[in-house]
Amino acid sequence: MPTTPVIEVEGLNVTYGDFHAVQDLSFHVRRGELYALLGTNGAGKTSTLETIEGHRTATSGTVRVFGQSPADRSAVRPKMGIMLQDSGFTPDLTVAESVRLVGALTRRTDRVDRVLDVVDLTRKADTKVSQLSGGEKRRLDFATAVYGTPELVFLDEPTTGLDIQSRDDLWSTVDKMRETGTTVVLTTHYLEEAQQHADRIGLMHRGRFHREGTVAELTRTLPSVIRFGLPAPAPALPLQATREGDGRYLVETFELQKAMSALLRWAEDHGLELRDLEAGPTRLDDVFRAIGNA
Amino acid sequence: MLPIFLSELTQIFRNRSVLITSFVMPIAVSAFFLYQHDLFTQIGSLGYIAAIVMFTVCAFGLYASSVTTLASRRQNLFLKRLRSTAAGDAGILAGLVLPATAIALVQVTAIMAVLAAVTTAPDNIVLLALAVVTTAAMMVGLALATAGLTNSPEHAQVTTLPVCLGVVAVASWVGISGTEDLTLLKRLLPGGAATELVVNAWTGGVATTDSLLLLAPTLAWVFLAAVLASRLFRWEPRR
Repeated sequence: MPTTPVIEVEGLNVTYGDFHAVQDLSFHVRRGELYALLGTNGAGKTSTLETIEGHRTATSGTVRVFGQSPADRSAVRPKMGIMLQDSGFTPDLTVAESVRLVGALTRRTDRVDRVLDVVDLTRKADTKVSQLSGGEKRRLDFATAVYGTPELVFLDEPTTGLDIQSRDDLWSTVDKMRETGTTVVLTTHYLEEAQQHADRIGLMHRGRFHREGTVAELTRTLPSVIRFGLPAPAPALPLQATREGDGRYLVETFELQKAMSALLRWAEDHGLELRDLEAGPTRLDDVFRAIGNA
Repeated sequence: MLPIFLSELTQIFRNRSVLITSFVMPIAVSAFFLYQHDLFTQIGSLGYIAAIVMFTVCAFGLYASSVTTLASRRQNLFLKRLRSTAAGDAGILAGLVLPATAIALVQVTAIMAVLAAVTTAPDNIVLLALAVVTTAAMMVGLALATAGLTNSPEHAQVTTLPVCLGVVAVASWVGISGTEDLTLLKRLLPGGAATELVVNAWTGGVATTDSLLLLAPTLAWVFLAAVLASRLFRWEPRR
């Protein structure tokens, strides 16, 4: 993967009065990468994202996008597609008119019918925005973000309100764009989407990066888990386990395969059934919960 | 700017309530003044009728509708959407307010043309045009400033009242009573000097150089409105 940074953030601080929304944040996003900015509510994701997009001014620190200040809209925005968290369309324009308007202002070239086809809104082309459902508005928003296939796309909660099919279609489009080298910055509350699609993740908490890295790097920091139930009274377990109640046990381990083998061997030796046995590596949600509880 | 201008124009003609309150109503009021021009000429002058028509259209057709449009576009985050493109702030604002400005100027021109046709033509058309253009500029500036204080289209019905009623009242006061007494006050009030200029331009009898000086207070209001707008205007709703 090419490593040229598209976004460079150094010592970013964003304050609102006395409130420090973003504190000394530094990171970069490489060309062609999908970088997910995740965090708890009020972690500073939106302030960070909007500063990179150029919607907000940094209190201190530097932000460079394609080597330029994001405030220089005429220089930077033609290369950028932005999917906002809220739709931001006027109700009296039709879907096609909305795409045509925003598309023209991006200074990129594309065909409105092609873009509407990508987001499956062709049959709604002449429908007023006021008559669209929430999911259709999100798709319209996505259409304006990918108009003209920009080099950098910001997706702010892109799949909120979308049905499964629309979510799959959206990610399929994003994947195709990435094959052509498009860089993507994502924020989402659907952690499984970030886990599945992101190359790297920045986990924010209270305005700072709590952790940053690939999914493997993030999940590696927490143990895998094994859960099972046993009839009482149960003989002494071969592993250190936490009792969760109702005869359920929790084992946390950094060596999942070894622990599973020991547990299964022990159960067989004692002729016991491990009820509702679950085992798996740490998921992003577990990392997220660990941060929230920190 | 052109794509925004065209989309705003489309929306104005597509939204029936905007069309009626902002463009049909001022025409109706102006039509009443034209119909009763003999009566209003006795009260003031033909120039007074022209000034009232100009301020009615500029206040309700241009100023109030611009404030409403800007508040609405901000409330539904359309301004933020536009700012997420490569368009500059000045181009966005121009695209948003120019359709209402163009329609208001066409309305004022058409109504004054009818007034001239049914009565007598204005003495100095250039002065009259200058008065109309500077008044429109002042109302646009005031609209941008007022939009900064207006949270929603509904709120605009309240926030636009002082300026709308104020300029029409000043135009009536100056148009009917003249500026022989309280000259400085009447000329410094928003719309006062512009009304006197319209009256002079229509009726004649005042040296052009003296009338041109009357542009200064209106231009000062344009400047003041621009300063206020730069401080008060917001692109996104308050959080």
